[in-house]
Amino acid sequence: MDFLTALRISGAGLGVERTRVNLATSNLANAETTRTAEGGPYKRLDPVIQAVAFPTELGEAQLTNNPAMKAEIAGIVADQTPGRRVYSPGHPDADAEGFVAFPNVNPVHEVVNLMSASRSYEANATAIDTLKTMAQRGLDIAR
Amino acid sequence: MKLFDTTLTRLQESLDVRLVEHNVLAGNVANADTPGYRPKEMDFAQAMASAQQAQGADSMAVTDPSHMGPGGVTTIESASRATSAATSLIHDGRGTSPSIDGNAVDLDRTMAGMAENSLQYGASARAAGKKLAILRYVVSDGGS
Amino acid sequence: MSVETMRSIGGLTPDGQVDGVGRPNQAERAIGSSAGSGFAQTLGDALQKVDQIQVEADGQAEKVALGGGNLHEMSLALEKADVSMRLAMKVRNKLVEAYQEIMRMSV
Repeated sequence: MDFLTALRISGAGLGVERTRVNLATSNLANAETTRTAEGGPYKRLDPVIQAVAFPTELGEAQLTNNPAMKAEIAGIVADQTPGRRVYSPGHPDADAEGFVAFPNVNPVHEVVNLMSASRSYEANATAIDTLKTMAQRGLDIAR
Repeated sequence: MKLFDTTLTRLQESLDVRLVEHNVLAGNVANADTPGYRPKEMDFAQAMASAQQAQGADSMAVTDPSHMGPGGVTTIESASRATSAATSLIHDGRGTSPSIDGNAVDLDRTMAGMAENSLQYGASARAAGKKLAILRYVVSDGGS
Repeated sequence: MSVETMRSIGGLTPDGQVDGVGRPNQAERAIGSSAGSGFAQTLGDALQKVDQIQVEADGQAEKVALGGGNLHEMSLALEKADVSMRLAMKVRNKLVEAYQEIMRMSV
């Protein structure tokens, strides 16, 4: 476990949070999109985040069953729960019964996700800052 | 002739163990939003004791005082030994009561722990630097 | 140094009488005793104190390394150790200088 490992872990964390922010903003932007290329309304996107054991250069992942974990995006899935349907026969995307299917995006949820991702992003950035301070102190021994 | 005393060894070990602790905490922070994740923990006092033992395990019995030891403990070896000792003590912590998605990381507590860890790392580094500076001053006949 | 002082050091009293044969007079006795144990004792004591300060600093550093201890106590102890060691070095250098100066004197 060394500085490079910690840097990579925090860097991966930053990437994960950035993806969450991107997905939240994409969902918010498409909250009213009733027509997509695949047909049907926009379906909100969710990140699938998983913890991955971080192998270090010295092979210390084998020393323990519980090494430090980095986070990564295993994939992005579309939320399949149906959104709200509004009766609006004049709408160009109305179906046979006159209902328009709207996206399953709840703006409040997306904003909360955005705030949570933003806070976690800051925490990861602080972790990198802390690491930099520690590295500088370590180098100062030989000043 | 022993040039560097046990205090310096202790300080070296503490630096290694503190770095491992930072890695553990950084891993928890990175996984603050991973569903079902339980934070990792490492007990610092335990890790220090284990690292100390790992150092001592180096000495072999010699039949003749003029025989050389098992190669001595170079700085590189002792760093990985203390690090390995600490790494093998990482375990799953209890964490806070998990949220809806099962994540049990308390971000605030983790960040506070990281700040404290960084401070202690800096203190150990400063102490080691000072001791070596005194030694350097004496060795260079007061010429610093 | 006045003539009287020089004479009394040489064993002669100011009025010209020799102050006993082979018996060191007061001045010589005074110089003899201080050159022997006095200064050496002081120096030894001072070095002991410097060593104590170093050991104290070591103790504080170890305490912090093990996770306990007090950061400002450790810093103060280390700084004291640094300053006292520097002073000891300066004194030692001056002593060596003085010794070399004396040895250089042509008798």
